[in-house]
Amino acid sequence: MDRRSAIRNLALVMGSAAILPYCTPGKPIAHYTHFDVNLDQQNLVAELAETIIPKTTSPGARDLELDKFVWLMLDDCTKKEDRDAFFKGMGEFNDLVKKSYNKTFSESTMDEKHTILNTFEKKPKPSQKNIDPSDDKYSKELLGFYGTVHWLTAFGYTESKYFMTKEIVWELVPGRYNAYFPVKNLKAAKNG
Amino acid sequence: MANLNIDSAKERTFDAIVIGSGISGGWAAKELTDKGLKVIMLERGRDVKHIKDYPTTNMYPWEFKHRGQIPQDIQDANPVVSRCYAFREDAQHFFVKDQEHPYVQTKPFDWIRGYQVGGKSLLWARQTQRWSNFDFEGPARDGFAVDWPIRYNDIAPWYSHVEKFAGISGNKDGLAELPDGEFLPGFPLNAVEDYFSKHVKGHYKNRYVISARCAHLSKPNQIHIDQGRVQCQNRNLCQRGCPFGGYFSSNASTIPWALKSGNLTLRPFSVVESIIYDDKKGEATGVRIVDTNTKQTEEYYAKIIFVNAACLNTNLILLNSKSSRFPNGLGNDSGVLGKYVAFHNYSAHIGAQVEGFEEWATDGRNPAGGGYIPRFRNVFKQETDFLRGYACGLGAYRGYKHENDGFGESFKAGLSSKDYGPWYVGSHMMGETIPKASNFVALDAAKKDAWGMPLLNISVDYDDNDQKMKKDYVEQLTEMFTSAGFKNIKAETNHQAPGLDIHEMGGVRMGNDPKTSMLNKWNQLHSCKNVFVTDGSSMTSTSCQNPSLTYMALTARAVDNAVSELKKGNI
Repeated sequence: MDRRSAIRNLALVMGSAAILPYCTPGKPIAHYTHFDVNLDQQNLVAELAETIIPKTTSPGARDLELDKFVWLMLDDCTKKEDRDAFFKGMGEFNDLVKKSYNKTFSESTMDEKHTILNTFEKKPKPSQKNIDPSDDKYSKELLGFYGTVHWLTAFGYTESKYFMTKEIVWELVPGRYNAYFPVKNLKAAKNG
Repeated sequence: MANLNIDSAKERTFDAIVIGSGISGGWAAKELTDKGLKVIMLERGRDVKHIKDYPTTNMYPWEFKHRGQIPQDIQDANPVVSRCYAFREDAQHFFVKDQEHPYVQTKPFDWIRGYQVGGKSLLWARQTQRWSNFDFEGPARDGFAVDWPIRYNDIAPWYSHVEKFAGISGNKDGLAELPDGEFLPGFPLNAVEDYFSKHVKGHYKNRYVISARCAHLSKPNQIHIDQGRVQCQNRNLCQRGCPFGGYFSSNASTIPWALKSGNLTLRPFSVVESIIYDDKKGEATGVRIVDTNTKQTEEYYAKIIFVNAACLNTNLILLNSKSSRFPNGLGNDSGVLGKYVAFHNYSAHIGAQVEGFEEWATDGRNPAGGGYIPRFRNVFKQETDFLRGYACGLGAYRGYKHENDGFGESFKAGLSSKDYGPWYVGSHMMGETIPKASNFVALDAAKKDAWGMPLLNISVDYDDNDQKMKKDYVEQLTEMFTSAGFKNIKAETNHQAPGLDIHEMGGVRMGNDPKTSMLNKWNQLHSCKNVFVTDGSSMTSTSCQNPSLTYMALTARAVDNAVSELKKGNI
């Protein structure tokens, strides 16, 4: 861990310790330029991000703090109307989960989480039952909320230092252009 | 300034003044100082030193807070520059924000500017195609604008001169419509680009897909090493400024070269208010500037003045240089100053999927961007219901398979897949537009900027010829793609405003007749012989080739003539 990450992590731990005891779910715990975020909202986005990019043998959304990236991008790089729709959609998302399982997304089992997310994907997996197969029952705010969390999580993941140094390596100085790169060599290299 | 003391005036007197430090200003300074003249270069923005002032050049994508995206509040406050493809988190500090430097859009015009030493030469797309006689003879043959006062043979040796120094990679393609130059090795076409090139050559008369020529050091020569530049490292992060000097910019090449001679004084933070004309002497004596920090005016004096402020700002300076001899702007006896502004029509592109070629991909990055299709319409004779034609960029690309839908372990694993997806191919149009008196810039009667300069009023628009040409581009490229067997062909046209092409030209055009043009064949004001204009504003017509290389060549040629005339005592 480099020094900067260490300091950042330390700050987080200290921050949590300082804030959590006084915090109720409805109260803002994080302040952004355009909105405040409460504990429920923070948990929901963190759980959603982790469901989209789970920890496996490699780091997941929580390890890479992708939920923080989602909030940052929502704050800085999103149009006001889309931001407003995001929060409206988030409320509808909570209602949907509540109606389906009578609990919050964070409290849901992995299977339940997957079932919910499948309803938002174009091609739900046949082994998992849809809550509601009809997309048009979902408001554009609800779809927008899920879509925003989904793409920002995936974008944050593929543009993370971890991904760009360990998964698909991004080169600062390639120093070459091979216009005819034989694909079979790559496969051989991978298999070898 | 009435209270100037003599010594101070002497200190502010040079052999030559160069206004602007972009691609043409850099060349003016380099050529003038090479010939031993003492030169002051005036730049309205801050200094940008090669390497030292490229703060983002070695940053990784994840080190940018928004991973390259421009925050929404900056976009909302600066809609014009936000439409530029290169205005991203890594290069935003080299672009002018709309709010900092307002102008008046009588008609929508996206004026993209870079106010710093090096100007837009830091940011340009580095495409360097020579113009041909089909371009220089165009206005005379097709009856628009005025005849160019030069032909290809006049400029050809100067193309060679600047190409050798700047470093241009390309292949000798032997095409009359796109003359060959002094090339470093060209960047190769990939499997699909190559296939399309062969297909087009076999199925069409006079249509070619070549490797795009670009200002990158594919294999540097001694002259480039002498500039402190080394081989292009295929980073394709050029807009950040290149620590290798792998592409040509004023910052990496001409300006440090000129500074090394000891003959160049660089003065940033200097907005040129006007060129000073002496009625008695019948010539320009210097330049009046406003220091952007102190807001004080100062004057600089010289025997010759090169105006290279970039097209529209050069128009602005000349329009604002009023005297009793020239009440409508310096050298403007004809009344054409500010008029006949034209640009390039970039408002259509096309994309398709390509089946096959699965055994090939690419590795590394191609700074040339791929292929280039020289103009094939109306080249040898008029053959359509519109004048002139268009060139096309052409690139094929294949990336790793990337599934956008899904979640969980399989989705995550899929993002790391190194299995290749299909090939895609794309092209964009670069159309010549016809200069007209009705496309013009003028000084705003009332509004002024923070330094007391009148705002520029821009009134430039497309015409019917542009619409017909755009339709033809879509038809021809659709046919060529179909004929090549490409699938899912999708052409898209847009309504982007003029200016976003960043190829605005004219307003101070060259011509033989002082009654209908501003500059003679040496880029010299017809009626003020010691002022030279060699940036985009001097262009009589626009061709469809990227224009920067031609500005460089015209500049070197004009300096050669100016210094020779100076030595003969003619100016």
